[in-house]
Amino acid sequence: MHDVGYVTAGYAVSLLMLAGYRWRLAVRARRARRYLSTASGRATAERR
Amino acid sequence: MRYVYRALTRLGGHPAQRVMGAATIVALAATVTIGLFVVPPDATQGDVQRLMYVHVPAAWVAYLSFGVVFVASVAYLKNGRVLWDRVAAASAEIGVQFCALTIVLGSLWGRPVWGTWWTWDPRLTTTAVLLLIYVGYVSLRKVADNPIRRARWSAVVGVVGFIDVPIVHMSVVWWRSLHQEATVLRPGAPTIAASMLAALLLGFVAFSLAYGYLMAVRVRVGRLEDRSTLPVSQLSTPRARRPRPVEGATAKADPSHA
Repeated sequence: MHDVGYVTAGYAVSLLMLAGYRWRLAVRARRARRYLSTASGRATAERR
Repeated sequence: MRYVYRALTRLGGHPAQRVMGAATIVALAATVTIGLFVVPPDATQGDVQRLMYVHVPAAWVAYLSFGVVFVASVAYLKNGRVLWDRVAAASAEIGVQFCALTIVLGSLWGRPVWGTWWTWDPRLTTTAVLLLIYVGYVSLRKVADNPIRRARWSAVVGVVGFIDVPIVHMSVVWWRSLHQEATVLRPGAPTIAASMLAALLLGFVAFSLAYGYLMAVRVRVGRLEDRSTLPVSQLSTPRARRPRPVEGATAKADPSHA
């Protein structure tokens, strides 16, 4: 029964890592785009 | 249909990137379903062996990432194109995530099978060293402020650091180790049952797709972040007319940069 806990934790950590990193990249892209559009005074064409 | 489209647009701007993101999600869902519910448990280890379907692919992607860092670093040192530096930086960052994941998953697998979360076994120790090398690589990129010097130093670390990858892989052969020997990436036929091998190969595909997708996104973020370090006066200048950065100048030359 304990084995199921280790397996569940392992799969959950894997999926959370992937989703968390993707979310972090989205935050970084949004921050950089916001800076660029503020600094250059126009909306950037690039999307995430 | 509208909701599906809206969900897909969250995966990225370029259509190919969206397709890759969707394929990654489908492949990961299939890996989780087959790894947890379809493939039979191992005869000796029981259900805990199911961790293999994520642990081994995570290790493979860590190898792949650091291999790409090596190739991109060599290419940068050879021709000095900033694209290679960006690719190396993106791959190293992703490789660190997957290397850390490999260690965490190995620890979760080792506790019920070996009776310990961690032991100074050759495979585990060399993998921890590998993680530290690339954490150092990522840290170095944050410390060096001149873009050319940063790219050159990073490329040297990217080439030298790769030496540890074959050492990690061969550690179970060269030294006496608790860790089992390679079952797939080895000379000769794989030594596991066909259904387990199929699930493992699906894991390789899913994690490789995840790597490709994250690379596409991370390279794009890198380009945006590089642009955001340019002085404001250059932001509206077309790329071809922008002055090339010179060694000795700082990246954030503009005091108005927030």
